[in-house]
Amino acid sequence: MEELIEGEEKMQTIRLKIKEEVTNGAAKIPVEVDSLTPDKLAGKTEAEIKAVKVWWGNKEENTGDLFDVSVEGEAGSAEEVKIVLEGDLSRVKRIGDGMKAGEIEALGDVDMHCGAMMSGGKITVKGNADCWAGREMHGGELVIEGDAGDNLCAMYRGEMTGMTGGKVVVGGNAGECIAQNMAGGEIVIKGNVDILTGLNMKGGKITIEGDAVMPGADMTGGEITVKGKVLDMMPSFRLEGTESIESEEYKKYTGDLAMTEKKAKGVLYVK
Amino acid sequence: MAEGELLIRNGVVYDPINGVKGEKKDICIRDGKVVEEVKNPKVIDAEGRVVMPGGVDIHSHIAGAKVNAGRLFRPEDGRKGVKARTKVCRSESGYSVPNTFATGYRYARMGYTFVMEAAMPPLAARHTHEEMVDIPILDNAALPLIDNNWMTMEYVKSGDMDLLAAYIAWMMKATKGYGVKVVNPGGTEAWAWAKNCDLNDEVPYFDVTPAEIVKNLAVANEKFEMPHSIHVHGNMLGHPGNYEVTTSTYDLVKGIKPYRDRPAMHATHTQFHAYGGTRWGDFESKAGAIADYINKNEHVSIDLGSIILGDTTTMTADGPMEYSLYQITGRKWTNHDVELETGSGITPFLYSGKSPVNTIQWAIGQELALLVKDPWKLALTTDHPNAGPFIGYPIIISMLMSKRRRDESAEDMHKVIFDRAEYSSIDREYDLNEIAIITRGMAAKTLGLHEHGKGHLGVGADGDVAVYDMSPEETDAGKIQKAFLNTKYTIKGGEVVVKDGEVVATPAGKTYFVTPECDDKLTDEMLVKLKDKFEHYYSVNFNNYPVQDAYVPNPYEIKAPWRS
Amino acid sequence: MVEITDVVCSLCGCVCDDIVVEVEDNKVTKVKKGACAVGKSKLMGHGRIEEPAIRENGNLKDCSYDEAIKKAAEILAASRRPLLYGWSSTVCEADKVGVELAEEIGAVIDNTASVCHGPSVLAIQDVGLPSCTLGEVKNRADLIIYWGANPAAAHANHMKRYSYISKGYWTEEGKKNKKLVVVDVRRTPTAKMADVFLQIEQGKDYLVFSALRALLYGYDDVVPEEVGGISKKDLLETVKMMKEAKFGIIFFGMGVTHTRGRHNNIVNAIETTRAAHTHTKFSIMPMRGHYNVAGINQVCTWETGFPFAVDLSRGYAWYNPGEISATDLLIRRECDAALIIASDPGAHFPGESIRHLSKIPVIQIDPFPNPTTEFADVVIPAAISGVEAEGNVYRMDNIPIRLRKLVDTEYLADEEIMKSILEEVRAIKEKEGE
Repeated sequence: MEELIEGEEKMQTIRLKIKEEVTNGAAKIPVEVDSLTPDKLAGKTEAEIKAVKVWWGNKEENTGDLFDVSVEGEAGSAEEVKIVLEGDLSRVKRIGDGMKAGEIEALGDVDMHCGAMMSGGKITVKGNADCWAGREMHGGELVIEGDAGDNLCAMYRGEMTGMTGGKVVVGGNAGECIAQNMAGGEIVIKGNVDILTGLNMKGGKITIEGDAVMPGADMTGGEITVKGKVLDMMPSFRLEGTESIESEEYKKYTGDLAMTEKKAKGVLYVK
Repeated sequence: MAEGELLIRNGVVYDPINGVKGEKKDICIRDGKVVEEVKNPKVIDAEGRVVMPGGVDIHSHIAGAKVNAGRLFRPEDGRKGVKARTKVCRSESGYSVPNTFATGYRYARMGYTFVMEAAMPPLAARHTHEEMVDIPILDNAALPLIDNNWMTMEYVKSGDMDLLAAYIAWMMKATKGYGVKVVNPGGTEAWAWAKNCDLNDEVPYFDVTPAEIVKNLAVANEKFEMPHSIHVHGNMLGHPGNYEVTTSTYDLVKGIKPYRDRPAMHATHTQFHAYGGTRWGDFESKAGAIADYINKNEHVSIDLGSIILGDTTTMTADGPMEYSLYQITGRKWTNHDVELETGSGITPFLYSGKSPVNTIQWAIGQELALLVKDPWKLALTTDHPNAGPFIGYPIIISMLMSKRRRDESAEDMHKVIFDRAEYSSIDREYDLNEIAIITRGMAAKTLGLHEHGKGHLGVGADGDVAVYDMSPEETDAGKIQKAFLNTKYTIKGGEVVVKDGEVVATPAGKTYFVTPECDDKLTDEMLVKLKDKFEHYYSVNFNNYPVQDAYVPNPYEIKAPWRS
Repeated sequence: MVEITDVVCSLCGCVCDDIVVEVEDNKVTKVKKGACAVGKSKLMGHGRIEEPAIRENGNLKDCSYDEAIKKAAEILAASRRPLLYGWSSTVCEADKVGVELAEEIGAVIDNTASVCHGPSVLAIQDVGLPSCTLGEVKNRADLIIYWGANPAAAHANHMKRYSYISKGYWTEEGKKNKKLVVVDVRRTPTAKMADVFLQIEQGKDYLVFSALRALLYGYDDVVPEEVGGISKKDLLETVKMMKEAKFGIIFFGMGVTHTRGRHNNIVNAIETTRAAHTHTKFSIMPMRGHYNVAGINQVCTWETGFPFAVDLSRGYAWYNPGEISATDLLIRRECDAALIIASDPGAHFPGESIRHLSKIPVIQIDPFPNPTTEFADVVIPAAISGVEAEGNVYRMDNIPIRLRKLVDTEYLADEEIMKSILEEVRAIKEKEGE
């Protein structure tokens, strides 16, 4: 291995371009890439990366058989790895699932579970992300430049806790039940959200720059700010007064009283 | 049952029912049964390793309506413990509520070959059997709930013990059950109106008390040569200060003469019934008082219900108790009341060593084992999954065998363990013979299964053997735990089913059930009343009620004649 | 002529088991007692798939069972993402083989719950389900609430056998001492019988449940004068009835599970039940549709750990409705083959799903032809469970009941067909050296 001058940053860029034949059949069978995170690829050569197994339907395939792989530079650790995903990624699931460090850039719309369980590093999606992006996220940063689907930053089925840490920014709109059971971290949605944002949330902070529908239902903690309109305000919140945020006047509600007064420690700011 | 011969050579054998306490000995098996000698066997080298009969679990919730409701409403538990299928095994899922396949494999890996499903709602008995058929390897049986039944309470009120016995007999046959299960007698019926009953409260509308129900069921049960006594989960489970209710419940069967040399009552998951204090704030261990009672009396046997720290799924026919637990945690809660018979509740629970209450509960389970002098009076259980999943048994075993491990563990618990429990002052350490008693011998005897080849290795016994990868001299608690979690070999009916901790064969288990033999005239008189119940109050027809033979493809019938 | 009693109906989730039929010349000739009109017609039988068939050049061509089963196995063994769907109008014995086959070929197994009461299951996974058997309702209930359900049309015997009109131990005068509340977007036949009818605005169920909870907990001050089209006065009256009942029950139907808010409406309905339970006994139950949809949920749960929408492609279960459910998979064009048994996606799935189904190989197993037959590539006729084949089913309250066999048939039972396909798949895989 080449000696590097002390202080100079090492950086490795791994380009994975999905082959056309993977996505152009009558059936668009998803490829699941939870084995292709910076943590898991750090220190691997191009040949080794090509041999890493990924699930495509009910069969495990070599990464090199489904993706054109090219590697530039080298890395000593996951922090120094950047993975760039290219091609039609609309059936590529679990991008950055469980990643702890490093960077992933997805050049297009991505499929479900992008950034699920991530605890560090950064994912940038240069398009839309399908449902469950940032599911059970613990840390790190997830930027979705387009729209996010339903259940963004929510919990897995049946779990008590969704997102606990990290930061998520969505450039466009987001779907239903985002941040369900959220306990920590921060989410900013530049556009509108569909129903039940922050459902049953216990902590953390959500800012909706556009409109929201029935936000804050069953919340017992945390804070939601809606800068646009609230459609179908929950009938079980108590109006506490007004507060000024960034020199704009907001109504401050607490709730959700449907959870009983003792538990109703959530705060909802509505313009 | 495997055909052919098997020789397990040179193991150090613990077979307490036959008085074998760690002797170097060969075990010979032919056509699935233990024999004196073999001629041309397959040989398993057990040199220097601990060998015991297949484990027998006296009380565990592994199959049926509420177990599956527990699985269904906890996908977050399901995703823990997933394991892909292999050429031999189906896929596994779950931790506190494992799927049926994982249940069989995990028990077998611990050397267990028989498990008693502890609560079968009669109306849903078909469900219990459907799941038991799908649990590989393990022989099994189930205890139908007979105590909150309107029929039972009406006979208790009228004092017709023979007719109550006839009802028990009919229900055993209709459910393909093994013995009489009692869960919060009267309290579960009261729960149908969101109420509960203490031992001497009147059950709403039925004009009987739980104490009367327990006593009369014990009397009626002993009218037959039933292999097992009544199996009792008493009133006020989980309530601070309940230990006096517990000993009062034990008192109820004093003087009732059991059919054979077993107690007249098995009191289950005693940890949950050994509580002092008046509320959670002054909650304390009364394991000592309970152990004292057990030490001085012969009419009650117990199992532990020992706590395993961590998240689990609580489930019981004791509906009001599950509701109280849900009110404490605010977590999800399922309730399922069953017409004319019973009920059930399910809620997840986290046992934390940081909680003073959980710490004391944790101590009580082990204290009971250490303070009851005669291990033949108790069985190791966690009331799976109520006090924790069964895969925690090896943890308890290592605790009981090592004072050092207990001391180290106590340091990690809430400090109340040093002043509201006897835990740290107890020096006793179990030996392997005692472990063999509380994990197989006692359960087999109390269930009467030792007469049917279970829980021992005498000639004629089933060829169910566990070979643990440890020497009898092992004192390292960690190594003991590891050895009891995954056997070197588990042999079921003469067939190697686990080798080096991996399941290598998955034969089907047998279902044991008891057929009490009751006089036709008595049965006919009872049926007049029962058919009226079906006519007016049940939502299924009488003729569609009994479990059909198709649900028990591998039956093992035990007849229980009327005692003259 | 033979009279058969205690016949169990294999139509809807009520699973009535008190039916009497007459059988003559190996045919059910008369339904004498117990069944509703639709159940009667099912028991009497109607036009069915006569022969196994394989599609060739666009047309179904009759073949033998062996040929059809072999073809089905070839399709499934070659598939990278097969879907096995249906399962709710057959018996548990067949469902079990289905799960085994799904494991064998790394398939997604899903059942009709995903288009009916799947949302109810999701809700139960969030908050649990305080419920009971139907006999409890019959014997004790004095307040019955049907929410988004119209049993007068969809479960014709429900009120008579189990709820409003039934007579039981503490309800011996039938409806006389009971109250009936109906919540619906329109005045249904059931609503016309109600003591109180709350006409709710479409898609506002979630808000109304939250308002009821706030009122049940005593926060009258925060609830606005009108919620979801219902006045506060009516809500307060309903809350009063709930508190004063000795035993209340909410039955909910697809009117709540499939409107805006979906499974969270049910979460909120259950939370409402929990709130009511702080005052009195209160339970809640979904009005399950097909006779054994509860059963496939049970089987799938004890065998895989999860009730529906289970992906076994990695050899272990991954459960995630919304991702793995049949309609989602098909709309996303994920599957490359499908086996449809005892159900009819052709009639019940969204158009996009059906378009994809028509492009991939489809195997159908069913006694009766239906819109799915129109595009199926392999069609395998089955015996009618509950008429020609016996087996276990679970009623909507999860009570297991055994369907009876009434007449003999030449057709194979679903379980036998599934077993043959499984064996054939294993033979193919063995040949391929797996």
